[in-house]
Amino acid sequence: MKMKLEELNKRVSAARAETEARGETFYPGPSRIHLAAFPPKERWDDWVELESKSWPKREERRYMLVPTTCFNCESACGLLAYIDKESLQVRKFEGNPEHPGSRGRNCAKGPATLNQITDPDRILYPLKRAGKRGEGKWERVSWNEALDDIAARIRKAITEKRQNEVMYHVGRPGEDGFTERILAAWGVDGHNSHTNVCSSSSRAGYQYWLGMDRPSPDHSNAKVILLISSHLEAGHYFNPHAQRVIDGKAAGAKLIVFDTRLSHTATHADFWLAPYPGSEAAIVLSIANYLIQNNLYNREFVRRWWNWEEFLAVENPELPTDFATFEQVLKNLYRSYTFENAEKESGVAASVIEEVAKLVATAGTRLSTHNWRSASSGNSGGWQVARTLFMLNSLMGAVATEGGVFPNAWNKFVPKPIYTPPHPPVWNELTWPTEYPLGMNELSFLLPHFLKDGRGRLEVYFTRVYNPVWTNPDGFSWIEALNDESKIGCYVALTPTWNETSYFADYILPMGHGSERHDLHSYETHDAQWIGFRQPVLREARERMGEKITDTREVNPGEVWEENEFWMELTWRIDPDGSLGIRQYVESKERPGERLGVDEYYGYIFENSVPGLKERAEKEELTPLEFMRRYGAFEIQKKVGAIYEELVPQDELEDIREDRFGRVYTKTPKPASTNIVPIASPDPDEEGRRLVGIKVDEKILRGFPTPSGRLEFYSSTLAEWGWHEYAIPTYIKSHIHPENLDEDQTVLISTFRLPTQIHTRSANAKWLDEISHTNPLWIHPTHAARLEVRTGELVRVETEIGYFVVKAWVTEGIRPGIVACSHHMGRWKLADAGQRQLMATVSLAHTEDQWGLKRERGVGPYQSSDPDTQKIWWTDVGVHQNLTFPVHPDPVSGMHCWHQAVRVNKAAPTDAAGDISVDTHKAHEVYQKWLRQTRPADKYSPNNTRRPYWLMRPLKPAREVFRLPDSQELVGVE
Amino acid sequence: MELFRALAVLAEPPMEEAARVADALGLGPVPDSSAYTELFIFQLYPYASVYLGAEGMIGGEARELVAGFWRALGQKPAAEADHLSVMLALYARLAELEEDESDAQRREGWRAARKAFLWEHLLSWLPAYLSKISDIAPPFYKSWSEILLDALFAEAVAVGKQEQLSLHLREDYGLIDPRAASAGDFLQSLLAPARCGMILVRSDLSRAAETLKLGLRLGERKFVLKSMLGQDAEGTLEWLAREADVWANRHRLGREFLGETARVWENRAHASAALLRELKQAAQEVSAS
Repeated sequence: MKMKLEELNKRVSAARAETEARGETFYPGPSRIHLAAFPPKERWDDWVELESKSWPKREERRYMLVPTTCFNCESACGLLAYIDKESLQVRKFEGNPEHPGSRGRNCAKGPATLNQITDPDRILYPLKRAGKRGEGKWERVSWNEALDDIAARIRKAITEKRQNEVMYHVGRPGEDGFTERILAAWGVDGHNSHTNVCSSSSRAGYQYWLGMDRPSPDHSNAKVILLISSHLEAGHYFNPHAQRVIDGKAAGAKLIVFDTRLSHTATHADFWLAPYPGSEAAIVLSIANYLIQNNLYNREFVRRWWNWEEFLAVENPELPTDFATFEQVLKNLYRSYTFENAEKESGVAASVIEEVAKLVATAGTRLSTHNWRSASSGNSGGWQVARTLFMLNSLMGAVATEGGVFPNAWNKFVPKPIYTPPHPPVWNELTWPTEYPLGMNELSFLLPHFLKDGRGRLEVYFTRVYNPVWTNPDGFSWIEALNDESKIGCYVALTPTWNETSYFADYILPMGHGSERHDLHSYETHDAQWIGFRQPVLREARERMGEKITDTREVNPGEVWEENEFWMELTWRIDPDGSLGIRQYVESKERPGERLGVDEYYGYIFENSVPGLKERAEKEELTPLEFMRRYGAFEIQKKVGAIYEELVPQDELEDIREDRFGRVYTKTPKPASTNIVPIASPDPDEEGRRLVGIKVDEKILRGFPTPSGRLEFYSSTLAEWGWHEYAIPTYIKSHIHPENLDEDQTVLISTFRLPTQIHTRSANAKWLDEISHTNPLWIHPTHAARLEVRTGELVRVETEIGYFVVKAWVTEGIRPGIVACSHHMGRWKLADAGQRQLMATVSLAHTEDQWGLKRERGVGPYQSSDPDTQKIWWTDVGVHQNLTFPVHPDPVSGMHCWHQAVRVNKAAPTDAAGDISVDTHKAHEVYQKWLRQTRPADKYSPNNTRRPYWLMRPLKPAREVFRLPDSQELVGVE
Repeated sequence: MELFRALAVLAEPPMEEAARVADALGLGPVPDSSAYTELFIFQLYPYASVYLGAEGMIGGEARELVAGFWRALGQKPAAEADHLSVMLALYARLAELEEDESDAQRREGWRAARKAFLWEHLLSWLPAYLSKISDIAPPFYKSWSEILLDALFAEAVAVGKQEQLSLHLREDYGLIDPRAASAGDFLQSLLAPARCGMILVRSDLSRAAETLKLGLRLGERKFVLKSMLGQDAEGTLEWLAREADVWANRHRLGREFLGETARVWENRAHASAALLRELKQAAQEVSAS
């Protein structure tokens, strides 16, 4: 036997060596055995557990486990609904081990979906305004009545060429382009997102480098992880990323965190840097400079992949175009970014920054960095934070490498749907104004000001998973706009729960929570491509039991619907006879003349557009749709790798032309792909050839979807569109830089989130509310001592347009002199209607431009269908600080710059917690001041267009309408 | 020590990479996940604590003892330190550390750790567990268990005899007498191998019901046992006593390699057989009166 064992040992060793020599994995990665606790999928149809409520009796209950995905942030982690087979009710939600992103793990928000679907205060029926706007009087209406009215208004607007009066404003999409295609089918440029109050600044930083606007860090395999974020507790894609950051740390990675606050993430860091807000890019550039001056960067990578030749040719035509020259220029360009200067800006000791820089230098291509909101979204010029951060990856060659950072589009798969309507033939100035030709996303938060300025009106305005009065800055200006029927003809709130904006709606249409709706999505959680399927779990359960469900309202509570079916039905009613050419995009191919259903819609996608799914499903004798309904997710590819290094196949190289920078253009049309993930679209050459690749060391490689085809250290776009000074990554002093503050002002950080709350949909998630229900002002003991304030005492925080009153929390967990107040809190309602577990009842006072909000009473126990509501013990639900913030649109990216210059003082004797006072006239003046900083397209456009065509844009309109309005009509080009 | 790591991989739910490992071991195609589930999730849970703990459940003091070994090495314990895969991988690592160590004293230290882990946490339960696998598993896992058992015995020879009984086995909890405690406690202790000296899995109970011509109620093992005792207490107790006899014999055969460890298991099975027969006798007397 001894011989036999030794022989086996040798055989295993040999097999391992052979496998690893091919670059493949022999032993699977970190053990997955912790998942052994999940119910095995073979038993999901009939799973037995003991009834916890019967304890100590051991009573068995039988469940059907049906997957869906969480809708409580954008990560869309997998959930398994435990459906009681006797009562057909969901009893709990746990993780779905089959989900490649979340791997069976969830944060607190996932299981809390149960609170949302059983929320005693939720909206169960369509409601129509019965009194004046905002008066709080409602009547129940049928879906038919609401649909017919809204469809008629939209049809009229379209036929009268008022397409720009139809707008859909989304907070969390939770899907990949479904609704954009509905708007495209209508031919309207009506997509409006929340992104410019969220992540567009960071997107700008990444897009200028990569032509793709999000990072996909491979934390698990990193040697050094650098976060300018709090991704162990919040943000996209927090749960999938957090578990991979921990995997990385467990394998020995060092974690560096930049955060002015001691976040949970910072508590796990090897290096926590608490800089003065807005100085982050100065620190990052000093690290870059250290790498550059000491030749510690990946010179071969930079030589091959940066667009340094273009930079030298355009900016330094007098110099020779060779790499050695560029390296010297690079050294000169960044020489001033010393550790000492970084210390001067940030207040972080130069010696600490140097230590961090030395650590970064050890990472090689295993440097994983991440910035999503945080410093990018707080500061004017914040987009340079993400841009300088990615510069570190670009210097180290840690781009799409194991342990490095991938562009999101390579770790994402958006399967081609049954219909793809053409680009709308109109341009909407209300969302894409001339002042912001480089705005990354819609200037959504300026809408009330644009309406006030008379730039347009809206006939139908939808909000979906969005609550601008509460979420956006300057909420009172939103209320003023919403109350003016001459500006907004019909406001439709698609929401399952009451919110501060929905009070001003004309229709409230209840839409399902995460387990009550269909959506399809794919997110860049790691180096792989996967799709996740959200579905109404009771629909699937009842179908497995033999019923046929044709409309999700049949299984949802009350008359709660889902958006897929809603949008398809609305589209059908806008063009019932097909004469407008709209109906065709929601017509069944299987049953011509009838409306498309969700089974056919998703069945088509899974059957035709997801590589490998059909074969995988066949192994289990399932159709692709049945497979997705059973498992909820599918991994298309693991380890996508460095696509930019791939050779362009010969059959794509017909009649090619190469320019002086090695860009290769081809006449071969783009090969058909079933992955329609959005990426930038560089311009073709003068003869219409498309950019197909880049010649690097005599080989034609895929490269990047940027105008240069390479990583753009130098952005010709910024240089040509009026921002030459920012053509390379630099440090921009923030609007809250000490130079811009008065002596008695300090900085308020208002962007951070609570790990256990959701923007506006968790007000009645009782488990979450019990954990987090208020947002005191973080203030350092030395600062508090100066103000003579102790924890729990009230302070008044004055902004440019008003003030709010809040309780102080004295803590050493914040940089001295800076204050911070979290997002998520300060929810309010005007009367009884509302989410009673986390919304205070308030009164609004309004005269001319002066607004005040006063808390009448906090929350307390109440009687409802849920006995737990009698146990509510908290009363204080925090303050709605965003009302007191004016808009701060960054002149380049268009992002709202959240940080506030404030004065913090002890509250006046008459002040009460939660008090708000705002002057909307001043708010409009601040808006105008920031607008004056822009460099509009009509003055700076190099080619008489509104915006560089290559840049990404949600719901991109037809190329023709990119021309500036002096050369064509605003409404269309038909 | 590749062998232990390779064997460890196969105790995890089947994944793509397992095919290469199985191929190298000459085991043939890896069974699908339903075969894995049937064996490891429904019959023989691959956690040391189930077989070494007084409760017969995952976790508890037995798992803590295994985790403690990690801590003694200055390591943070794995999330499920007593899972068979984790334990085998740790053993492989200890052997590698020993092999790679050039300093004689430190090498001796690694050897001591390896030996301690083998006797303390692997050989204390795996021979019984693997013999049960061999009884009920499909051919792939049967061969796997046989290779693993051979490898463990070879290691026992290589590292030398155990010096003291595993801490897990020092306290004799014993099968609980229902006359002194509750029937529920008695049933639970029948499902705790460290108490009764035998491993009773779901398929055993099906076999018992078939042999005794009893109705097999579906449910957890404790419920099934209770229902069998309800239908035929004497027959069921006799069946259980015979099962304990079989286990006592099986443990006895392991004495050559396992010494004291095998004797402890054998004694527990004997004691269980004796108590079960006593209970049968009592049941007969009750029914006679």
